[in-house]
Amino acid sequence: MQRSIVVVGAGPAGLAAATEAATRGAHVTLLDEAARPGGQIYRQAHSALGDSEYAEAGERARKHDILARFQSVASRVDYRPDANVYALFGNGELHVAYGAGSEVLRPDAIVLATGVREMAIPFPGWTTPGVMFAGGAQAVLKSQRVLPGKRAVIAGCGPLPIVVAAQLLRAGGDVAALASLRPLREMLGNPRALWQGRQIFYEGLRYLRTIRRAGVAQLSAHVPIRAIGTERLEAVVLARVDAGGHVVPGAEREIACDLLAVNYGFAANSELAAMAGAELRFDADRGGWLPASDEFGRTSISGLFVAGDVAAVRGALVAEAEGQIVGAAAAVPPKSIGDATMTAALRTALGRRQRHQAFQTAVRTTLRVPRGLWNLTTDDTVVCRCENVKLRDIRSALDAGHSSLNAVKRNVRSGMGWCGGRTCLRAVAALSELHAGIAPPVIMTPRPMVRPITFGAVVAQKKAVDA
Amino acid sequence: MSGFQFFFEGKTIAAREGQSVAAALIAAGERCLRVDEAGLPKGAVCGIGVCWECRCSIDGSADIRACMTLARPGMNVRRQQGLDPCSDQ
Repeated sequence: MQRSIVVVGAGPAGLAAATEAATRGAHVTLLDEAARPGGQIYRQAHSALGDSEYAEAGERARKHDILARFQSVASRVDYRPDANVYALFGNGELHVAYGAGSEVLRPDAIVLATGVREMAIPFPGWTTPGVMFAGGAQAVLKSQRVLPGKRAVIAGCGPLPIVVAAQLLRAGGDVAALASLRPLREMLGNPRALWQGRQIFYEGLRYLRTIRRAGVAQLSAHVPIRAIGTERLEAVVLARVDAGGHVVPGAEREIACDLLAVNYGFAANSELAAMAGAELRFDADRGGWLPASDEFGRTSISGLFVAGDVAAVRGALVAEAEGQIVGAAAAVPPKSIGDATMTAALRTALGRRQRHQAFQTAVRTTLRVPRGLWNLTTDDTVVCRCENVKLRDIRSALDAGHSSLNAVKRNVRSGMGWCGGRTCLRAVAALSELHAGIAPPVIMTPRPMVRPITFGAVVAQKKAVDA
Repeated sequence: MSGFQFFFEGKTIAAREGQSVAAALIAAGERCLRVDEAGLPKGAVCGIGVCWECRCSIDGSADIRACMTLARPGMNVRRQQGLDPCSDQ
């Protein structure tokens, strides 16, 4: 009997999972919120604009290959762009909206390949227009062919700010400064891991060369502490921080710019798994709340799988290999998962995942946010942008004894606005830990709809489809 | 339709086919896409449809994400002011 599988997300993990499951004869439905497949990293520009050439050749080749592999089975996959999955229940019912309509799907297996979003550390002035997440600025550049600013300051930790700075320069942009929370040479302490991922490491070196040749000021152990401007960004104040993330007084410098692109790592899009009741674990460096899963992507809920960064942030190459593994696991009868036939066929993917995961352990050290850095959020800083909730409001709720994210939300509305807490939730958790000692954090209960859809779309819902 | 125009707060904005409303506005130097309920100017932040900060009023419909909406010739884009959806045009 043909198994029906719904894959949520068409980034590297979802594309690989859909491709593998379809190759194995499963009936695959691939749901994605974007207009074109690729996810964030392999985001495709509209055909009228053409793809950008600012990324390294290796990355462009990987993008081409994964999309080509998907194309080769696309006639057998029910691919649905512009799909908004807004609820998932423990009985395996998945609710999805498409513009003005919606439906309920009940497949044999669900693979969540929902990836990550960028994690924010709120600081004074960060709501000023012109302050963007680094990946957001990159999305404007690579899928829209528009420079997101005339003069940029790029900041944060991990590899993304470096990639964004180099790509902005290659597109003809002006980068006034690149501020890094941690020196990248921390990665060099793990030569074996670097060797495992040398392909990516060399691409990183070429991005660094672009930055060096352009003469960009590179400030190590510096972070933006204040954005200046009202209607638009005019300048950013950078300051030195010590190893604990505390600002070193007297080492501030103001840099004029109209774009601040900042990234402090990522938050996993694990709301659907959480809503379904899957067991979660918390790993601050790897995306926060992560659905607990085994090597085949099985969560604590029968028939619910996770693949790629939503299972733990490890980058596109791990995601692609893992997508293939999990796609296979979802496609075979549950009893066959992990048997000799299955693992033999997946030997290459299992090896690739292991190799690239080793490299990611080296990257991970650069993504670690020291606890003291959360002091950048002052009492007057807006934490929840949707509802304009300041740290002061959150602290008053905590001081009054509201000692969970749910209770704080109910009392001061943090996480209750348009984005559903996707922008501020990690910050509210970290700030609750810093200021009230609440840890380990329990996720704010995700409820339908995890993202805004119209009432009309719910009313126009088709009956449940038992595929 | 490779190059065309639409309107933002009555101003003419140049766009290219395939660009989002947010991208065309950024290219035109516009940064403030909305003024929120507390009076704070807001612009594009996540660029990928997560944060909803760039929501605008487009052709009379309020709360449309500029970053997720394809620009089209002659579109009328308004900057929402607080709770005013600017849907009267």
